Amino acid sequence: MTAVWSVALITFKEGIKNRVIFGIFIIALLLFAATTVVITFFMRDIVKVAVDLSLSTVSFAGLLTLLFIGVNLFGKDLDKRTIYMVISRPISRSEYLVGKFIGIVLLALAVVVFLGLLSSVPVILSKRFYYYPEARFDWWIYSIAVVYIFIKLAVVSAVITLFASFTSNSFIALILSLVTYIIGQSTEGVKLLLASKVEKIDVNPVLSHMAGIAYYIFPNISAFDLKTQAAHGLSIGPSYIIWTALYAVFYIVIALSIGALAFRRREFP
Amino acid sequence: MQRSLISAILVISFAFIGSVFAIPKVSLERDKLRQKEGVGLVMPSQIAQIVALEFKGLFADAIFSKAMTYYGGKLIRGEKATEEEWDWIYRNMDTATDLDPYFLDPYYFGATNLAWGTNKVKEANLLLEKAFRYRDWDWTIPFYLGFNYFYFLQDNEKAAFYLMEASKKQGSGTLLPTLAARLAYQGKKTENAIIFLQEILKKTDDETVKKVYEKRLNALKGILFLEKVVAAYQDKFKAQPNKLDELIAKGIISEIPQDPYGGKFYLDKDGSIKTTSELR
Repeated sequence: MTAVWSVALITFKEGIKNRVIFGIFIIALLLFAATTVVITFFMRDIVKVAVDLSLSTVSFAGLLTLLFIGVNLFGKDLDKRTIYMVISRPISRSEYLVGKFIGIVLLALAVVVFLGLLSSVPVILSKRFYYYPEARFDWWIYSIAVVYIFIKLAVVSAVITLFASFTSNSFIALILSLVTYIIGQSTEGVKLLLASKVEKIDVNPVLSHMAGIAYYIFPNISAFDLKTQAAHGLSIGPSYIIWTALYAVFYIVIALSIGALAFRRREFP
Repeated sequence: MQRSLISAILVISFAFIGSVFAIPKVSLERDKLRQKEGVGLVMPSQIAQIVALEFKGLFADAIFSKAMTYYGGKLIRGEKATEEEWDWIYRNMDTATDLDPYFLDPYYFGATNLAWGTNKVKEANLLLEKAFRYRDWDWTIPFYLGFNYFYFLQDNEKAAFYLMEASKKQGSGTLLPTLAARLAYQGKKTENAIIFLQEILKKTDDETVKKVYEKRLNALKGILFLEKVVAAYQDKFKAQPNKLDELIAKGIISEIPQDPYGGKFYLDKDGSIKTTSELR
């Protein structure tokens, strides 16, 4: 376990030291600043727009961190051949993989905590700026939404770990992770679209079958998106929280196990 | 070395001056192009929901503000929106509220502008009915719906229903049940409309919207005044006046109030007060 932890810490430190993270933080800060200007263009639901922008910024910055730094943290060891140093030590390959995953998740956690706290500033300002009695907002639900951004990023980290375990370079892992994220965001929507039978278009049964399979294979990332609930102060039931959190845990375990299997059999050139 | 530096400076300054000249031309051409472009296609909601990924709220904000700025630009240039443009605005509001069905602004913008700015009361009510399903805590939605049914569609029964629904929700105040009860009686349309509008005005702080309501309120006050005078005339002379001018001739009033919409009030054959501007 200590071996896993030390890999995780090294990965985390390496990620935090990366210069790209400053770029991402600057983008996030600019977006927060822009939020305070953009909300003045709206009429009544101003707090909602501020919440939309703030939470989207946190989520976007987290995704950028994972895709540009997280993927590279894997690639570096392979590209620079430092992996030989690691696998010659008394640490199993699975432990190494899990350690890397935990390191990336820690990085995502740091980003979400820092930007999550910062994201409350435009929301507080918008609440000061305009009060509309029929608008609902609740800090408790807002913080649940922030936690769910982190859960989503943890699932994406697991996907990145899975792809990094068998691809030969980090660019391919990046593309595969990005595609998985996009598919994961839209499987639910596509499934609903096919089920609703819009405008009586005949859907090819093979296609709708494939959408059903994709729904089970790819992570349903849209389940972790609670921005609308946060923006309008809509309550989230405890069963929703329990089931989506369990789903995330199961998915992470599956992705990491397959990744570990692939990584154990992998031969390094 | 020096020669290459001088030529580089020359090239840079030449290009810089060129670009300074070009920038205003580009924005001018872009403006021309935009005006020709007019309204574009609206992405169907089902597609937008998939394309927006996790940023559905942001997409809704963007679609809404695009339509709003387009309409605002027309207002500033003093142009009237065409039927096609109103349709485009409605479909944008519909898509924005499909992406975020709790988003108040498109409902509010659509409901006020579609019903008041043009004759699209049906579309305004479709939006408001969607809002009524989702924003189930918000009393203002059934209140606006009730007004549209009462004022534009002359459906007092439905208006009373929505007003009662509004009065059940928190924050609606004490006037709504009374107003709903009044609607159950036919007649007194103008008076009820004035009460309705005064109540709406209290809740409005946007200056442009306020002006729209105030204009209508003043016109209605003029109509109510003339209705009362005509009733008094009937009581006195046991006959209806043929023209409003008769009221002045008989010395009942000194002048006919101005229609804020620029028309002239007249007495219709059925005895009701109308105006040549049709309140538009």
